[in-house]
Amino acid sequence: MDKRNNPLYLAWRRFLRSKPGVISGIVLLVLYLVAFLAGFLAPNNLTVQHPDAVYQPPQRVYFFRDGRPVRPYVYQLKRERDPVTFISTYREDRTRPTPIRFLIAQGEPYRFLGFKTNWHLFGVAESEGYFFPLGTDQFGRCLFSRILVGSQVSLTVGVIGVLISFAIGILLGGISGYFGGWVDTLIQRITEVLLSIPRLPILMALSTVIPASWPSTYVYLGIIAVLSFIGWAGLARVVRGQVLALREVDYVTAAMAQGASNLRIILRHIVPNLSSYLIVTATLALPGYIIGESALSFLGLGIKEPMASWGLLLKDAQNFQSLSLYPWLLTPGILIFISVLAYNFFGDALRDAADVRSRD
Amino acid sequence: MGVYLLRRVLVAIPTLWLISVLVFAVIQLQPGGFLENLLEDPRVSRETIENIRRQYLLDQPVWVQYLHWLGGIVRGDFGYSFLNSRPVSELIWERMGWTVFLAFLTILVTWVIAIPLGIYTALNRYGPSSTALNFVGYFGLATPDFLVALLLIYWVLSTGGTNVGGLFSPQYIDAPWSWAKFQDMLAHLWIPLIVIGLDGTATIMRQMRANLLDVLSQDYIRTARAKGLAERVVLWKHAVRNAINPLISLAGLQLPTLISSTIIASIVLSLPTIGPFLYDSLLNKDQYVVMALLMLSALLLMVGNLLADVLLAWVDPRIRYE
Amino acid sequence: MKRRVWLIAMVLLALGLGYAQPKVLPAYTSLGVTTGKAGGSLTLSLASAPQTFFYYGAIDSAIQNLTNQMFDGLIEYNLANYQIEPALATRWSITDSRVYTFDLRRDVRWHDGRPFTADDVVFTYTQIVANPEARGGDAANFEGVKIEKLGDFRVRFTLPKPAPAFIHYMRLPIMPKHKLLPFSQEGGKPRAEINNAWPTNVNPEEVVGTGPFRLRSYTPGQQVTLVKNPNYWKRDTAGNPLPYLEQLQYLIITDSQARVAQFLAGNIGQINITGAEFPDLKRRETQGAPFRVVQFRALFGSPPHIGFNYNAKNAELANLFKNSDFRRALQFAVNRERIIEDVYNGLAERASYGVAPLSEWYYPEVARLQGRFDLNAANAALDRLGLRRGPDGIRRLPSGRPLEFTLTYGSNSAVFTAIATILQSDFQRVGVKVNLQGILAANLLSTGRGQDWEAILLALGDQPDPELRTPIWKPGGALYYWHQATQPTTPTGQPQFNNFLPWEREIYDLWERAASTTNFTQRKALYDRWQSIVAREAQVIMIAKEYAVGAVSNRYGNYIYSLGVIPGFNPVPLMFQR
Repeated sequence: MDKRNNPLYLAWRRFLRSKPGVISGIVLLVLYLVAFLAGFLAPNNLTVQHPDAVYQPPQRVYFFRDGRPVRPYVYQLKRERDPVTFISTYREDRTRPTPIRFLIAQGEPYRFLGFKTNWHLFGVAESEGYFFPLGTDQFGRCLFSRILVGSQVSLTVGVIGVLISFAIGILLGGISGYFGGWVDTLIQRITEVLLSIPRLPILMALSTVIPASWPSTYVYLGIIAVLSFIGWAGLARVVRGQVLALREVDYVTAAMAQGASNLRIILRHIVPNLSSYLIVTATLALPGYIIGESALSFLGLGIKEPMASWGLLLKDAQNFQSLSLYPWLLTPGILIFISVLAYNFFGDALRDAADVRSRD
Repeated sequence: MGVYLLRRVLVAIPTLWLISVLVFAVIQLQPGGFLENLLEDPRVSRETIENIRRQYLLDQPVWVQYLHWLGGIVRGDFGYSFLNSRPVSELIWERMGWTVFLAFLTILVTWVIAIPLGIYTALNRYGPSSTALNFVGYFGLATPDFLVALLLIYWVLSTGGTNVGGLFSPQYIDAPWSWAKFQDMLAHLWIPLIVIGLDGTATIMRQMRANLLDVLSQDYIRTARAKGLAERVVLWKHAVRNAINPLISLAGLQLPTLISSTIIASIVLSLPTIGPFLYDSLLNKDQYVVMALLMLSALLLMVGNLLADVLLAWVDPRIRYE
Repeated sequence: MKRRVWLIAMVLLALGLGYAQPKVLPAYTSLGVTTGKAGGSLTLSLASAPQTFFYYGAIDSAIQNLTNQMFDGLIEYNLANYQIEPALATRWSITDSRVYTFDLRRDVRWHDGRPFTADDVVFTYTQIVANPEARGGDAANFEGVKIEKLGDFRVRFTLPKPAPAFIHYMRLPIMPKHKLLPFSQEGGKPRAEINNAWPTNVNPEEVVGTGPFRLRSYTPGQQVTLVKNPNYWKRDTAGNPLPYLEQLQYLIITDSQARVAQFLAGNIGQINITGAEFPDLKRRETQGAPFRVVQFRALFGSPPHIGFNYNAKNAELANLFKNSDFRRALQFAVNRERIIEDVYNGLAERASYGVAPLSEWYYPEVARLQGRFDLNAANAALDRLGLRRGPDGIRRLPSGRPLEFTLTYGSNSAVFTAIATILQSDFQRVGVKVNLQGILAANLLSTGRGQDWEAILLALGDQPDPELRTPIWKPGGALYYWHQATQPTTPTGQPQFNNFLPWEREIYDLWERAASTTNFTQRKALYDRWQSIVAREAQVIMIAKEYAVGAVSNRYGNYIYSLGVIPGFNPVPLMFQR
């Protein structure tokens, strides 16, 4: 078959034509790669507290000394406390330049592909001082390292959650709209019941059931399951409405008349027509999952201290003191924004690429 | 259609009953409650707690409590708030005005802004203004409501503004309506509208864009164009009408948000709506308040769904319910 | 003619001095109080909407705040030294430690003009406070107390046995009999009916008190407005009538960030803040913002502690938690200095059990007995208990299972979350693994009183007299939650003495003895002994007592910090608008 007539190839060509789509794709690729290598890229352990470096602002990296390029280095910061306001201020200690070392093995080992290792891409030697590229939090923990490790949660929770809830939502919504009658009535009443049950008490009840000694990864899977189990009902309503309309369209009735199986009709003729709506809805649902996870940790259900996720990290910034004194705590918010942008532009490009009839 | 409506209403009754059983059970599963916390006050002893438990029938088995509640509903009595020592219906009624006002205003503003913007961004796919609009929308989606509210308040404060919460300045809260009070309200209203409405606007805008793009590439649009129909007619009469279908189902789901969606915004912006009232009642296990509010929410949901289904059939003649 | 008027005035004055005189407040120069100016209004905040306007109908912080401005008790606290002073009672005598006779102030009128008399006092205590069905009553402390009217302005309370803190119960607000009789048993209603008095939709005219302000209006969910009581019975040192302010408004603002915002915007005149919020506000003050941020050492307020469940479901853990050596060992790993420094921004001090360091009951040795942060000492003590470290650095229980337990804390409190995180990190360093379990702060107490917890971070309030906190600190009390096996099996039963630890038996006896005498020196000695025992045994691990921090707009003078909810402690009448 001619390559130019292969629909996948054509879609790929169309996708490449969308600049924002390609850029977003690259951004997403980088983000996931970073999440995958988080332990290696993070210069510090994410749980180690440094009481002498509480709320330390990001350290500046220097590349020149006396006008000459040298190996990158940072200065150690000295904490001083304002005697009136009790604000911690930090001053660069110019007498102590600390070189940044690359590929150093130190600190707590982390797991990577089943191996235990303590190699890090960069960092300063523990004996020489600290390097916190994005500053520290209330406990003097490295924000940069916490963001990297937190991305593992935040970049997956949304995708898995959307996949589960969409699978349930499309299936039940599709069946409901396609078959109609008592099946429709039953499924729609179930969605109404589900949508009516209050989230908060369910989650509160759940939070007492899940033992605190469970490792964070279990809890994390639990959260995804809960979030997506709750999340499908709204989608099922919309899919049903679309299917109700589509099943009367000529090519569907034609397929029915030809005796095509129901499943085939749904999968081959109806779902592709929904794809555009589904892609957009999915990309729009992602930020809800990323942020929603932090609301759960409020109830003791989410990622627990000392582990991290973007939503949880961003919560530290949500008060006036942080906004005015420690603005670097907002960086997780910027990353959420970037990832949401990337998902959505990527989704747009995907939608345009999948749109066979589009002629522009 | 008449038969269809009647059937839906008849099915609604057992559904509502099922919801009430489930909701009641879920409330009972929840830990804690307001009674135990009373002990922290030096006035309260164990005996007092036991007496209050008895006054509220909380010493009875759960099913007795449920039947007691159900019996009240049949008589039109929605129960009694433990915390406020007042009938639930009065308490809800007190807060209903502002809740309905805010919710309808938000829904209205959201749709009035989002649908045209969705159409605009669909028709001008790669224009700079479309990109800018998308950015604002994504920002709203990517930022928790609480943080959006906080950032807006922080910004207002840093520009020397004073309207940072509530619906009125303190001196106008009790004052009778006047032009000045109305202006004061407008000066406060924009923050809650942005905080509550931004997510929804972005979502609807994006979905409208996608749907419209889909529809515009359909055969019948091409046919319509080929027939020489004016572009305006093609767009509004055929394309937009079809593209709006999924949003109608979504709109039906928006009715119950009257009660629940504004919780976070209302708490951080001190709005006198039902949201925080529901939240407090849930935390304190003020069970009859919770029951009343959630049943109201379920009722609104069903009404919304029914309206959406009727509207779907009206907008899209292909849909029929047999 | 002129002389006659003069004479009549003199006679009236003399009569007034004889019986009816307003209370002149102390100068309070140490608190910076000056003579104020009448007029103006002040806006404050309430953290929740009032549940009722009847103080005894609910335990609710909003109505406690409002009641402090609208009603008075028989006694009140000195604002500088917390000593008991006359309020609606002008003086009292105590005989046999059991018979309290109060002379009442004569010129006091209710807000609606009706005179205040002994009938109101007797009505309040017999029909409301001692009513077991009143949700905000205090029936347990008034069991067997005989309350009599000895004349229009004299009442007598006869106690079945001495109760040293009894005088503190006299701070409870006195209610108007002429308004509340229809809700009372005396008025022919069932006892529980009293709870239905003055719901939030009551006509404001009905809510009459004797306090400095009276209710004018309530807009549901938004604000409560009070106006000045022109006939209030207090005067400032110069003899000017109090309160100075014409109007008091309360905005209902649930979220603490929103309160700060409204304060910064100038819509609220005064707020109470936490140590975490201090640096930002103080910095704005130093940069010229029109307000002051002031800190005080606090008498009231709730210092957090770590409670260990002596009856934890895991028997091995329960054995450890019950062992004072284990709790002491862990106490070495509690870095109070760092918590005070980083969580409270230095605005806190070490705490004792149930009494603030500021209080006359505080036993100064407690700090020494609690010891300092010392990880080596903690490690050594844990080693001595035979808890050896495993290969992962976590210690092993005798059964070979790792030594880990759950610490429950309030996840919606920034302070609790921070303390829990610091504890988890430091305990990890001595080989004890802590799993954090965040729950809503509102559910902490009910969780603690249940069985499903191992260790918990909880805060219980301090009071001016330890006796007032008997249910917390006396073994077997309703809030002695960490050793529930000591609690009685029925609400009115005796503690289960057979489950007492030896030192618990000792402190139980100390509490019994302290409750049977009103002699201050004896009681002080007994409570000192109690504090030294619980500090030595590390009964619970007290963490820190937060300072009281308040911020007030420069438009107002005579600001004195107050929690707002403590009956009998109300500095607001002294505040004035510049």
